Amino acid sequence: MSKPALYLSAASTISHQPTFRNRGFSAALEPVEASSALISPDYKAYIDAGLLRRMSKILRMSVACAKDCMEQAGTGQPDAIVVGTGLGCLQDTEKFLNTSLTVEGLLPPTSFIQSTHNTMAGQISLSLGNHGYNMTHTQNTLSFEHALLDAAMLLHEGDRNVLVGAADEHIDILEDIAVRLAFETSAPLTSAASFFVLSAEKQGSAKVVLTDVYTGGGAKYGQEDIDAFLDRNGLQAGDIDLALYAGDPVQGVTGNVDYLSLAGVYPTASAFALHYAIDLLGTNSEVKNVLICNGLRKSNLGLTLLKAVEA
Amino acid sequence: MGVCITGIGVVSAIGMSVDENLSALREGKTGIGPLHYLQGTKASLAGEVKASNDELRAALGVGTEYVSRTSLLGLQAAREAWGDNKRSGVIRTGIISATSVGGMDRSEVFYKDYLAQNNPDYRLLTTHNSGSTTERIAKELGITGYINTLSTACSSGVNAIMLGARLILQGILDRVLVGGSDALSGFTIDGFRSLMIYDDQWCRPFDDSRAGLNLGEGAGFLLLEGEKSLELTGNKPICNVSGWANAADAYHQTASSPDGKGATLAIEHAIRRAGIGLDQISYVNAHGTGTKNNDHSESVALQNVFGSRVPAFSSTKAFTGHTLAAAGAIEAVFSVLAIRHNLIFPNLNYRTAIAETGLVPATKLETGVEVNAVLSNSFGFGGNNSSLVLTKYE
Repeated sequence: MSKPALYLSAASTISHQPTFRNRGFSAALEPVEASSALISPDYKAYIDAGLLRRMSKILRMSVACAKDCMEQAGTGQPDAIVVGTGLGCLQDTEKFLNTSLTVEGLLPPTSFIQSTHNTMAGQISLSLGNHGYNMTHTQNTLSFEHALLDAAMLLHEGDRNVLVGAADEHIDILEDIAVRLAFETSAPLTSAASFFVLSAEKQGSAKVVLTDVYTGGGAKYGQEDIDAFLDRNGLQAGDIDLALYAGDPVQGVTGNVDYLSLAGVYPTASAFALHYAIDLLGTNSEVKNVLICNGLRKSNLGLTLLKAVEA
Repeated sequence: MGVCITGIGVVSAIGMSVDENLSALREGKTGIGPLHYLQGTKASLAGEVKASNDELRAALGVGTEYVSRTSLLGLQAAREAWGDNKRSGVIRTGIISATSVGGMDRSEVFYKDYLAQNNPDYRLLTTHNSGSTTERIAKELGITGYINTLSTACSSGVNAIMLGARLILQGILDRVLVGGSDALSGFTIDGFRSLMIYDDQWCRPFDDSRAGLNLGEGAGFLLLEGEKSLELTGNKPICNVSGWANAADAYHQTASSPDGKGATLAIEHAIRRAGIGLDQISYVNAHGTGTKNNDHSESVALQNVFGSRVPAFSSTKAFTGHTLAAAGAIEAVFSVLAIRHNLIFPNLNYRTAIAETGLVPATKLETGVEVNAVLSNSFGFGGNNSSLVLTKYE
């Protein structure tokens, strides 16, 4: 990437933590508990009641965060909507799968319609009345970084404001599958959505710029890949005040925080880390450079570099 | 020089390779028929690839049984498009695939046993994740680094090509294998039946009597290269990827708007991006699924853009069935063939024009025309509309 910096003009997250419309949340966050539940806002404030009834968890979270972001940014219609999701609309997928295997005769189509991965991006475009570029990336643990890179590319191509986000939802069968496939996690499996407005120019109170984002897949990644990424941005590990990591801590940085312990485990948890970083950079003036290092899966590496806007 | 296509690969109901697909297109031979490989569905007709999973695995040299049909079909087409190209430490190479069902063909086998408590094999679920279908293809071809999957329902394949072209133009990649793959599944067959747009008879795109689609399966892949890559590989460009656009219809979760808003925007922007005049489009490979709604909306969009001078157009869905996320990639390969061999493919099963629009598609194979630029449309659920313009390499 290494092009002109891009501004994060808005951020909104619904998660198992008190993140929604709660500026400064990063200061008081405790590790997420296994017994925790999704903290849902009053969705009726964001979504028409008729629509809301038919919407699964992932759709509600996504549309509410998207609308909250647009309100915060105050930029009017975004030029594009870009979403990342690792596993997509699991609730509706399982529901339709169940129906199609157990019900004879005519099946209700709603859960099929809402099972496709681009339902979030589609519903957001519908709810905003937006006719711009509309994209959904689904690349396992790197789905969000791919969406973010796409958004950055759109801004380099001339767009002014892009709504970009990620969402994944937990369904009960995942617990059973995790046990059977011996998928061991350091934190509980959770649901969450995070959306952002990425802008080519500084909007209002934007405090953070996205400097660079990188995705690598299908290989073994390590510290030298992180160093190379920092190097292409004229930085060294020692310049990083805080690394938010999944997998192994980043060597040589001032501070390391395991973001999975805060967000819980879901494929696009690095989007939670981005909001956490934005919140921290906006409220703690001692933190200037933040690196998000997504090694949730050993064969994938996602790197996101952020910087505080200089006053 | 822009973005060049230097390799193509396709597998569909009408053949296992580019040559087989081209022959069937020339001969007007459909691949849609009663299902033979996927058992237990309620579809009377579909466009199945004529090979079992075991046959595909054997032909491709894939050992594990824990691989989705989506990956196998994708690998078949990706290998053909990749050809003899070599891995390179200098040429930054990526892969973007598109899928809508991912490994659903395996997941539904699991889930059936799971519901019946009949000793379900949880390992089947390791291929569910859409991203894993692309990772599997990348692994078999030895591609690492930029590996990505798009899933925007039926427009996904075109979106993968578009993203690949943008990555090259922005200097992030030098070459990229782009395409899409989807296997037939009971899930999607039941899904389209629940929407009451699955025709039990052979689909009739752009015909007034059309009553829905037939699903198909398959994969299409194209190798895109920028200037730097071409210098190093010495590959000969076949076509240019000249224009692209994606726009949201923002009308309805599944249906297209009657005024064809999103489709009109996508077509207009793609042609503008290509920098050519409307009269330079030689052929339109339409989305043309055969549903009442799509074909009407797409016809209106074509008239919105081209007025009374709509270019020769046809849908090839009556050959292959609607292959969902693979459709845009398969049809991009067909568009390359239209340019390479100066062909306009027939729209099978057409008899009477849609009353409201009166548009008449090409119904016979045309060979005496010069095809320099092709517009290919793909429109999907969620109002996701994409158009692509491919042009002859000069």
